[in-house]
Amino acid sequence: MKTEELQKMANKLRLEAVRMIYEGKDGHPGPALSIADIVSTLYFDIMKVDPKNPQWEDRDRFILSKGHACPIWYAALNERGYFEPKVEHFELRQLGSTFQGHPSMHSTVGIDMTSGSLGNGIAIGAGMAAAAKAQKKDYFTYVICGDGELQEGVCWEGANVATGRQLDNLVVFVDRNGWQSYKSVEFTVGQNNIADRFRAFGWHVQEISGHDIDGIKAAVTMAKGVKGKPHCIVCDCIKGKGISYMENNNAWHKGVPTDEQYEIAVKELGGEK
Amino acid sequence: MAEFKGTREAFAAAMLDMAAINDKVMVISPDSLKAMRAVEFGEKYPDRYVECGIAEQCAVDVGAGLASAGMMPFIGTYCGFLTMRACEQMRTFVGYTNLPVKFVGVNAGILGGEREGVTHQFYEDLSILSSIPNFTLLTPADPAQCYHAVKMAAEIDGPVYVRAGSGREVDVYEKDAPFSPDGITVWKEYGNDAVLFSNGFVLDRVLAAADILKEQGILVTAADINILYGKDPSKILEVMSRSEQLVTVEDHNINGGLGSYISRLACENKPAKVKRIALTDFGESGPAKILADKYGYAPEDIAKTVKEALKK
Repeated sequence: MKTEELQKMANKLRLEAVRMIYEGKDGHPGPALSIADIVSTLYFDIMKVDPKNPQWEDRDRFILSKGHACPIWYAALNERGYFEPKVEHFELRQLGSTFQGHPSMHSTVGIDMTSGSLGNGIAIGAGMAAAAKAQKKDYFTYVICGDGELQEGVCWEGANVATGRQLDNLVVFVDRNGWQSYKSVEFTVGQNNIADRFRAFGWHVQEISGHDIDGIKAAVTMAKGVKGKPHCIVCDCIKGKGISYMENNNAWHKGVPTDEQYEIAVKELGGEK
Repeated sequence: MAEFKGTREAFAAAMLDMAAINDKVMVISPDSLKAMRAVEFGEKYPDRYVECGIAEQCAVDVGAGLASAGMMPFIGTYCGFLTMRACEQMRTFVGYTNLPVKFVGVNAGILGGEREGVTHQFYEDLSILSSIPNFTLLTPADPAQCYHAVKMAAEIDGPVYVRAGSGREVDVYEKDAPFSPDGITVWKEYGNDAVLFSNGFVLDRVLAAADILKEQGILVTAADINILYGKDPSKILEVMSRSEQLVTVEDHNINGGLGSYISRLACENKPAKVKRIALTDFGESGPAKILADKYGYAPEDIAKTVKEALKK
């Protein structure tokens, strides 16, 4: 897909994510909006998937380690054609809904791994990547982590395994938006030097803007060319990207727009109510 | 049929036998390859052995990732480091996802932990896992049974936990006796004054207690329960119905293991008195046999407890 189309798709996903939170009256808009461009580029340009055969053995895998951002993933799966018929109202977080509060692989078609308990995506992704190696298959595993969740120790346990096993078929995007539930990452742990840490763990590391579609594409192409090391793409992102009153406003880590706020969001994202 | 020095050797032998005919079988090691006696597996099948280092949470996550992509990982290490340190990973990424990740937890019980002391002897594993849906809990009574349990784990859909020891297990079963899919094997049928249920590596002690009681004119039935909280307890219920006095013996905390299971079955089906012999406190370092004797598992003490229960 062309860059402009991917950008347009990212905003469509943003709009859908905010709509499902608005309709469901619960969810995490800020963390979802920050990764919209990465998710759009992955699902509509990079990843080798077949929505009509979601369990295809050779498909690329995707793990949303920061599972609370799932509205953007649900929107992407919907636009990519995983659901038949296409979903109009997601009923996010409602009783009996296909769309659980955090991603569940047995509830929603296209979800490769349950997530939501922070910190586990890298290690699980290492398992998927190790499976590809054992099976002599060429699929890639993509993971999106938050910068806050890297405080979980198991992230670095997984990073060790990926290095030790030379899992060059594992690509981890880190959404470095600088925020976590309470305050900033810097307030919490004094620094947010993610690239240095992954380099110290032996990873191939790149730093890009998480809202630059061409940059995301180029970084994945570059990663695929580097053998013998797992890949970390540190993405500088704006939490709440795309909606003026949500951008860099951590009050929108979790929250539901009012009717008026929702109208503003629709307008800013160029959608129709 | 190979003979095994202990349950860990039995695990390693079962893995080698399965790997020869099933290319999905893998060993995941949180630096436990040596402890699990699986060095030969790692050397023979380097593509199917993933070393995670001393990182149990990671090992369970890696197992979940592998299983989601079609492999059948076996994760073996000290059972407390799995069921306690990596409890949430076992619950959310294996139990909730219902993926075919198989666990073999060693150093189970005070017998299993023996000289290592409390940090390396675990008596909480079964109570923790009994509250996580989708897990099947296999509790072999000796090394040969452990071999069969590990192979059965591969045949069962979804998550399986096999409880293993440290090499102090006494052989009781014939080497080729299958791991009972009914969850029970009756060993002694002297009479129905009481039914003694054993779980795990105390079976030889329970059978010895049954013989002591017989000499004293108390005729009991003694059985090994090898699957806890299984889907079909009908055979266990049949044996339970033989007496109004049931006695459970397990090398585990008194809550959540065999005693809790039998008590539940009695309450829900045919009320009976249940006397539970189990651990109620932490253990300590010591030689396995003496340690087990001290903590209430001497055959004479088991027999005495049964007699006292019958007097009440």
